Amino acid sequence: MAKIIGLVNLHSDVSLGGLTERRPAASVSFLGRYGIIDIVLSNLSNSGIDTVGVLIKEKPRSLFKHLGNGNAWNFNSKKGGVSFLYNEGASGPYNHDVNNLIENIAFLDKNTADYVVIAPAHIITTMNFADLVDEHEKSGAEVSVVYKKIKDGKEAFIGEDIVKVEDGVVTGFDVNKGNRKNTTVSLNTYIFNKDALYKVLKKAQKASVFFDLRDTLNYMVDEAKINAVEFKGFAANINSFETYYDTCMKFLDRDVNTAVFKSNWPIFTNTNDTPPAKYLKNSSVKNSFVANGVICDGEIQDSIIGREVTIGKGAVIKNSIIFSGAKIGNGAVLDHVIVDKEAKIKRVTELVGTAEKPLYVKEGDTV
Amino acid sequence: MGKEMLGMILAGGRGSRLYELTAKVAKPAVYFGGKYRIIDFPLSNCANSGIDVVGVLTQYESIELGTYVGAGSNWGLDGANSLAAILPARERGDVGATWYAGTADAIQQNIGFMDDYDPEYVLILSGDHIYKMDYDKMLDYHKEKGADLTVAVLNVTLEEATRFGIMNTNDDLSIYEFEEKPAQPKSTLASMGIYIFTYKELRKYLLADAKDENSKHDFGMNIIPAMLADGKKLFAYEFDGYWKDVGTVDSLWEANMDLLKDSDLDLFNEKDDWKIYTEDTLSKPQIFGPDAEVKNSLVTQGSVVDGSVSGSVIFSNVCIGAGAKVVDSVLMPGVLVEEGAEVYKAIVDTDVVISAGQVVNKEAKDVALISNNTR
Repeated sequence: MAKIIGLVNLHSDVSLGGLTERRPAASVSFLGRYGIIDIVLSNLSNSGIDTVGVLIKEKPRSLFKHLGNGNAWNFNSKKGGVSFLYNEGASGPYNHDVNNLIENIAFLDKNTADYVVIAPAHIITTMNFADLVDEHEKSGAEVSVVYKKIKDGKEAFIGEDIVKVEDGVVTGFDVNKGNRKNTTVSLNTYIFNKDALYKVLKKAQKASVFFDLRDTLNYMVDEAKINAVEFKGFAANINSFETYYDTCMKFLDRDVNTAVFKSNWPIFTNTNDTPPAKYLKNSSVKNSFVANGVICDGEIQDSIIGREVTIGKGAVIKNSIIFSGAKIGNGAVLDHVIVDKEAKIKRVTELVGTAEKPLYVKEGDTV
Repeated sequence: MGKEMLGMILAGGRGSRLYELTAKVAKPAVYFGGKYRIIDFPLSNCANSGIDVVGVLTQYESIELGTYVGAGSNWGLDGANSLAAILPARERGDVGATWYAGTADAIQQNIGFMDDYDPEYVLILSGDHIYKMDYDKMLDYHKEKGADLTVAVLNVTLEEATRFGIMNTNDDLSIYEFEEKPAQPKSTLASMGIYIFTYKELRKYLLADAKDENSKHDFGMNIIPAMLADGKKLFAYEFDGYWKDVGTVDSLWEANMDLLKDSDLDLFNEKDDWKIYTEDTLSKPQIFGPDAEVKNSLVTQGSVVDGSVSGSVIFSNVCIGAGAKVVDSVLMPGVLVEEGAEVYKAIVDTDVVISAGQVVNKEAKDVALISNNTR
């Protein structure tokens, strides 16, 4: 197998409203027991990649704590490892992936590899990078962009790149403004021959110091051959508070969750040593995900409940996402609400949002 | 510098009264409480008590147990100054191949391991009890009393006392006599099989016991009486929390059911910072289908519930099909209850399939044990 370095690119400007006020999107809780970044890290791990760099844009505290030495994702081998790549001098328009890589070029220098895969955290897939690298290798190109054909372009992947593909080659980029149902979107996932990545970084700096990777590929598309690799599996884009909510809810569909949670493709995360969930005599749970450590004496329906949440007697939770450690008091009724970590619903008896605009309760707040 | 106290866990027993559950694994590796194995309790207690070198003595079916304990990373015992060491009965240079002939003999055969750490005290535990206990407090007591041996005891009823090893004590809790399952108990202080020895005394008595051909090499039957005969200082240390021996199918089932009540065990760690650590499973969150029902139960990650569950403990990767009913039961990892099947008052061993429409133990008089293994 070719030797591959994996880079998780957290420079995509993804804001999930209140959820990303104090943490990057990558650290936001996902499906009750994961962080969003676990998905891409697991894909790298399952693809046999153990040399991983995380390109961090800002707010790194929660990421450091979550990732540790990477042993939860099997990156703690003697040969591999996880490195945090952080450009503390860069701010504003200078704080992008190209500058981060140049600042941390030692990481690329010191790790021998044939290929570098760069993938974002906020696009949820079960991508086998080893297969995609094979396709890239066969194409003979130095750079590949991974894309997906979608049929819901009017709602999904808004604001992300559209790639124009002709005969397997990228002929141009555009931004998805939601004009067309059937379209081909970029999964912001790139495969570089390692040598070519150095050249592209140089080219970017010459063209404009504000150019990030996405801009640079855009700029290069006329003069260089950029190969297009199609990904046919599940992909969901979390780039706003609303798409976060929608994507999570989509997972309650058995077809979706069985497509992602495959026995040969585990999703890794770090352990918290929480006991099983305890359901008391008044509890009722339907069509929902529940994490461990939950103590429930109320009703849960069409919802996602995080670790160590307590749900009081007679409480009703519908169409909602409750983050770890939150406390839902006796008799509270929640519908279309996202309750962030450690928040307490104590005094209000009813919180109601809508599917389009779920209500949000901030981390640690008491209401 | 030596370690102040080492932990030694006796984990070699078969646990034959668990029948099929221990056909292929040692008792300490048997699953408990929705996500744990029995040995998680003494190991977590050690880790939480600040005991960071723990020997795990294995003999019967030790592969799964040894693999599970590994270097102790699940309990945070794999640091530069800490260790969980599997100590199997083995061939040794001076005496050749030997089995562990009794609890005291097992520890005696590992004097070399203990000597390496030059400990002042050694804590000896069994790997088959469910409880949370701070051994550091027990050590404080041992030092305060200036004891040579401290035995943790539980105050049981007079009737229960006939089934335990009983410590007869003076008012200051010093032990003057040990009686195994007395017909007429003089005391109700039952040994929990938890000992703190001052190491130099332990070492001396173990070596002497090893030379005695008539000895059963057992702590209760041989070491304790020998120390009492010599007038050594033995004290009982009273423990008043939840403690359960899970040596039988009934007691294992009961201990699981105890978790559904408000028990002193505090598995949810609501009172203090005393978690029970265990292996992490790489499973998805629990998934409940649109017609699922769940009441008065423990359910862990990786299970998929489409049917109804009540009064039960459900381990990881258990699937309960639509219309299926699970009542007052313990379903170990990987159990599949197919559509419409019903299970009452049972322990269902790992990876068992209860096929569609099958009804298990509807009478629910005794606890049924269902396993793919044979007795």
